[in-house]
Amino acid sequence: MLLRLNGVVLTSFICLVLLAPLSGQTAPPAGRLLASQCAQCHGTDGQAVGDIDSLHGESAGELYDEMTEMKYSNDPGDIMHRQAKGYTDAQIRLIADYYANSSGGAIDNGNDNDADESDKPRNDDDDDADEDDEPRNKDQRRSRKEKSQKDDD
Amino acid sequence: MNTISRRHFLQLLGVSSALAATPALLRAQTAASGRVVIVGGGFAGATAAKYLRHWSGGDVAVTLVDANPAHVSCILSNLVLNNSLSLSQITFNYEALQQKYNVNIVQGRALGAAHGQLHLDDGRMLAYDRLILAPGIDFATVPGLDFNRVPHAWQAGPQTTLLKQQLAAMPAGGVFVLTIPPAPYRCPPGPYERACLVADYLKKNKQGSKVIVLDANPKIMAEEHTFTTAFNQTHAGVVEYHPNVFLNEVDSVNRIAKTSQGDFRASVLNVLPPQKAGRIAFDTGLVDGDWAAVNPLTYESTRAQGIHIIGDAQGTSQPKSGHIANAEAKVCADAILRAFAGEAPDPAPTTNSACYSPITANTASWLTAVYAYDPATRTMKSVPEAFGEAPSATQENYEKMFDWASNLFSDTFA
Repeated sequence: MLLRLNGVVLTSFICLVLLAPLSGQTAPPAGRLLASQCAQCHGTDGQAVGDIDSLHGESAGELYDEMTEMKYSNDPGDIMHRQAKGYTDAQIRLIADYYANSSGGAIDNGNDNDADESDKPRNDDDDDADEDDEPRNKDQRRSRKEKSQKDDD
Repeated sequence: MNTISRRHFLQLLGVSSALAATPALLRAQTAASGRVVIVGGGFAGATAAKYLRHWSGGDVAVTLVDANPAHVSCILSNLVLNNSLSLSQITFNYEALQQKYNVNIVQGRALGAAHGQLHLDDGRMLAYDRLILAPGIDFATVPGLDFNRVPHAWQAGPQTTLLKQQLAAMPAGGVFVLTIPPAPYRCPPGPYERACLVADYLKKNKQGSKVIVLDANPKIMAEEHTFTTAFNQTHAGVVEYHPNVFLNEVDSVNRIAKTSQGDFRASVLNVLPPQKAGRIAFDTGLVDGDWAAVNPLTYESTRAQGIHIIGDAQGTSQPKSGHIANAEAKVCADAILRAFAGEAPDPAPTTNSACYSPITANTASWLTAVYAYDPATRTMKSVPEAFGEAPSATQENYEKMFDWASNLFSDTFA
């Protein structure tokens, strides 16, 4: 269910809530709890205040690509490099899909088309020393993101 | 300090007020499918209240009980000591929770719970289907310790002001003595951060003064590289660090810390007493040792059905911090909503910590960790490769600190 915060969809959402039976609780959408753990820094529902990136409205592909890029970047000065290493690629996919689903971002796969990612164990990728991925720093990430936002506009 | 980050931070309270003033999205609360009462409006309790309402679409009735009308954040409170922030900038009332999320706010002191009712000290009773206790920390007794003379300032508010006043009145060439209790205690890097900021303040305002850190632990308990560098280089000649020093008694009148390694006389004495779960966790019989034993899938007590304990009072091995309290609250809220729907809890919850520590009045470090549920031990375990600290304390980190805190404050209280 897409919950766009514009008048029409929101109104029908409230009606649904009001009409819900007493036992109206249902199982939460996949990834909601996992994704909510980003909100301490990136804002409730990914809507950040200040200079931290918002996750709200980004496509699943963008979010997945940025997270995995940070995870494999070997940039010890980037707090998100460490944070990203705390999650399997499958978890990152779940987070990306949840934010895109809940905030109207496109549901795409991103550039890394690794269909077997969910089979990767958590720590098959943890060795900083032998990673030779192109290290991208935060400024490069930001400029890439700004570019993609401009493209969206 | 005229940077963008700082301005955003200073504007946060204004933003929160504006949000609170907008028409309540979920104001029309209908018959609820569950009633949750929460004791404690700090980072854990406030987050649980907000997310239970937010995620249930207003379908679950939530009452938040706190003895105070607002919460003063310990996070960033060391910056009040050196006049970088005022207490009002880190004080959060519950208006947004009430107006935006329709949380029922009750100011009162909870005594205990029985048969689905929470008892308040004025005789009121609050009925619940699930009870969440988020009472934070309490202090063990230290002989001779009088908080009116020797502040802890480890619960922010008047104690922070008292310590700030004592620092301001300290003579040049004086001695600031800080005692650190055995782990676990609230905010692992916090005492070392305080030592650094006080040292920085004294260098600029009270020349020739010293900071003596008496740590009951065998070594620096968080960001060891950062604080070793800070003590030995950044604040060399000012900070003296002594591990394995146990506080036995305090002479509060003469400001003397009596320890396993002798007496330390201070111009300003700051004792962080040994810590334990907030009192209601003891009064309800939920503690195992000093902390409440919980199932980390739900934060439900292992001793009482339907009662959950989150934040600093719970006894998982996760560090006690506002950021992690917020994380635990979401796991707990999700599990309660699933329980109301007849569903099992998420079998693989994660939590995380990201925390910035000021080292001087314009530099900061950070630490980060991710915790994942380990089914074999039924505990939350730190993911090793996600654990780390900043390579160095920088001005950029100092600015980022306000962005981090703004979002954490907003995700919790607004």
